[in-house]
Amino acid sequence: MTYFSFFKSESLLLWRHKQDTLNALLFFVIVVTLFPLGIDATPDFLTVSAGGIIWCATSLAVLMSISRMYREDYEDGSLEQWLVSGLYLPFLILLKVTVQWLFMIAPLLLILPIVGGMLYLSEESFWVLVATLLLGSPSLFLIGSIGAALTVSLQQGAMLLMLLILPMYIPILIFATSAIKASEIGLPYLGSLAMLLAISLLSLVFAPFMAAASIKASVNE
Amino acid sequence: MSWAWFHKLGSTKWFFLWFKNWPLPLFLVGVLVFLMGIIWGLAFAPEDYQQGNSFRIIYIHVPAAILAQSCYLAMGIASFVFLVWRMKLSPIFISAVAPIGALMALIALITGSIWGKPTWGTWWVWDARLTSVLVLFLLYMGIIGLHNAFEDKRVADKAVSVLGLVGLVNLPIIKYSVEWWNTLHQGATFSLTKSPEMPMEMWLPLLIALLGLSCLLASLVLWRMQTTIMKREMKSNWLKQEVLKNGL
Repeated sequence: MTYFSFFKSESLLLWRHKQDTLNALLFFVIVVTLFPLGIDATPDFLTVSAGGIIWCATSLAVLMSISRMYREDYEDGSLEQWLVSGLYLPFLILLKVTVQWLFMIAPLLLILPIVGGMLYLSEESFWVLVATLLLGSPSLFLIGSIGAALTVSLQQGAMLLMLLILPMYIPILIFATSAIKASEIGLPYLGSLAMLLAISLLSLVFAPFMAAASIKASVNE
Repeated sequence: MSWAWFHKLGSTKWFFLWFKNWPLPLFLVGVLVFLMGIIWGLAFAPEDYQQGNSFRIIYIHVPAAILAQSCYLAMGIASFVFLVWRMKLSPIFISAVAPIGALMALIALITGSIWGKPTWGTWWVWDARLTSVLVLFLLYMGIIGLHNAFEDKRVADKAVSVLGLVGLVNLPIIKYSVEWWNTLHQGATFSLTKSPEMPMEMWLPLLIALLGLSCLLASLVLWRMQTTIMKREMKSNWLKQEVLKNGL
């Protein structure tokens, strides 16, 4: 096993399980649909809250899709193979998270214009939303991968994962939605984008090591 | 300088034997001092010129809120110690302190909303401090939940320390992001660098209540840790001898 073969096999696995990614996207669309139905379907409400709605739906969809990201590897023994392969475990985790991120964020960005249009998002804010997603979503995946690694050996891990990880998403949610809101009323929003990037970089430095530590703990039992 | 004392502190045996007789006196002192602070604050401290008597809930609210945060800090440091030095005592401390910290956060939330009704006119506002204490409570519940989810306590120890450390890094980010988001709450009551803005007669009982509650919590944590140590070292010889010789 080399880093490249690992990357390739992870990409192939995700490609052959296209249905999983599709399910996550459909889940995203359904959550977005709930808000206009449940609260208010007028453009007045939707324009101001579109950023928040899309970000809440994205956080939930990301957590749903990565809650089982190590599960199969744990069950079929791949995790042990990673450990004995002599490759650097945090880097393997980083590769896996990158693959997951690419497979989720690319289709999400593709359907975003439709969803943004359904929520009456203005064009200026739409591009800010795209920027917040590009800068903020890596941290969603990186922090979420810690949770997935912590709960990998548990049967009913998904609900616990939500409880563990959603509080950590609060800062990302706040900075992303405040950037979109600021652009909606014509205020400068670069500061919030910079904070999103900072959180992503911090989790890039921190998360692979934490996830590796918890994977080692779960495998060595 | 010799580091032997540091390593001894990490051993469950030394810890158990050293602190065996501490909890009860600490508990009594804590109850006494806390009651003193509370009675002084509730009955003798002067009324607030704006909030009247309703401000007196501060004597429970502020110590609970401070301790909720301190417990989290202590838990995060213990997680770091466990992940770096594999000290056996750290996870025992974490599992002992987590429910107590959660309780303190809950008390701070409840007293805060009772206090909010007469002063702000509402039980709950989406204010920065309230929200961050709510998040703190959820983080505590996450740690407790994760600890209970594992059958094997060795895995639980490691998982909980990872989560504790991640939470420790995240807590300031959460706190400041929420603070920039919205704030209505008054500033901090205690500060190490500034002299207190409250008059002495109001501030002193608060300090005493805080010290008393800290002692009280310390004794509870020690008790819980001792119980866990006894449970984990059930089969070891030193514990058997100690219990047979000196009782519990």
